[in-house]
Amino acid sequence: MVNHHPTADFLTDYATGAMPPAQAACISGHVNYCEQCRRSIEQLQDIGGALLERLPPAAVSESVLDNVLARLDEPAPLSFDTSKRGLTDTAIPGLLQRLINGDFSELVWRKITGSLSVSYLKTGDEHHEFALYRIAAGGQIPEHDHEGSEMTLVLQGGFSDESGHYGPGDFVYRKPSETHAPTAIQSEECICLAVMDAPLRFTRWQHRWLNPFLQLRAG
Amino acid sequence: MNEGISLPVSGNNKSWTAPTGRRTDEWSEALVLIGKSQDRAAFTRFFRHFAPLIKAFALSGSNLSANHADELVQEVMLKVWQKAGGFNPEKAAASTWVYTIARNCRTDMFRRLQKFDTPLAAEDFNFELEEEEPFAVLHTRRGSDRIRELMGELPPDQAQILAKVYMEGKSHSEAANELDLPLGTVKSRVRLAIQKLQVHMEKA
Repeated sequence: MVNHHPTADFLTDYATGAMPPAQAACISGHVNYCEQCRRSIEQLQDIGGALLERLPPAAVSESVLDNVLARLDEPAPLSFDTSKRGLTDTAIPGLLQRLINGDFSELVWRKITGSLSVSYLKTGDEHHEFALYRIAAGGQIPEHDHEGSEMTLVLQGGFSDESGHYGPGDFVYRKPSETHAPTAIQSEECICLAVMDAPLRFTRWQHRWLNPFLQLRAG
Repeated sequence: MNEGISLPVSGNNKSWTAPTGRRTDEWSEALVLIGKSQDRAAFTRFFRHFAPLIKAFALSGSNLSANHADELVQEVMLKVWQKAGGFNPEKAAASTWVYTIARNCRTDMFRRLQKFDTPLAAEDFNFELEEEEPFAVLHTRRGSDRIRELMGELPPDQAQILAKVYMEGKSHSEAANELDLPLGTVKSRVRLAIQKLQVHMEKA
């Protein structure tokens, strides 16, 4: 059961196509788990359809129609099959599956602390880091804040922090400078997708020495 | 209401008599015909109606040249032909379906023009709805009819912001810059408009 959702602002940016790809991939991941947000986005897209119907038409020359008619027999380009997306708690959302290209275990994981490792994925988004974080069962991420914003989507297991408990499909957004120290649930390791526009910064002296190594890996 | 009265169909589309009821139903039927039997006549009708709207969409915000706008029209209409088989009139209005294709093609075109290198196409972010209960489908249809009805009642400032973010594809902060408004005002106008259109949102 998904309990934490993106705001109306995020869903609108997603529906209008104004969202940078790394963030859109995170919303799209949440939507795989969340029927309510899927419906919201459909309705938001209906606004787009209704506005399209009302635009004053712009003249299109007959040659454009002729060009299109001449190309109808071209084979359709291959496209990624978006129809096989499960809504189970353990399924990796389709788009992520494609970026991961396999299983979580096949990724390159870099250790940050004893219970925390990270794997960077490529979306081509120059302004956002798109990474999976893996926290050992019961492990804690040292208290940290962000110079920028962070979107998080829980993919497996769960974690708790000062503001609540988060399980698979839950979406969390942290504004710049909000501090938190998430702890993974005891029974299972936790895997989250995090989309950031500036690196995280550990705030306690024991971990601050790690900060210079935490550079944003956008792209 | 014009129900039951047969009105002359304007434009190039003289052979087609619109059934009474919503205009979109006519276009849903055309899409189904295209998907089922690769009906070129239905496609041509569909093109004559939607291509000028897609071109207007491409030109709004004047981000694209007329040549690129024509190129976008071609790309979108080819996708319409290729994807019509997946269109389900129970789930979406034809114009909404076309809007999502046009939006994705425009995003990809912007990225191409800016030499933005990404392994993802805009349509990779789409999702398909699972098979739904008839009640849920009816609910969705009512929602989308209601949005079209309520659209005409929006105050001008809210309608203007929606046009900026949807048709011009502007982010909230770009819209704020262009209209010389604080970002907070833009965000709240978008939110108010969405509330007035009765879009259901989960509490974040």
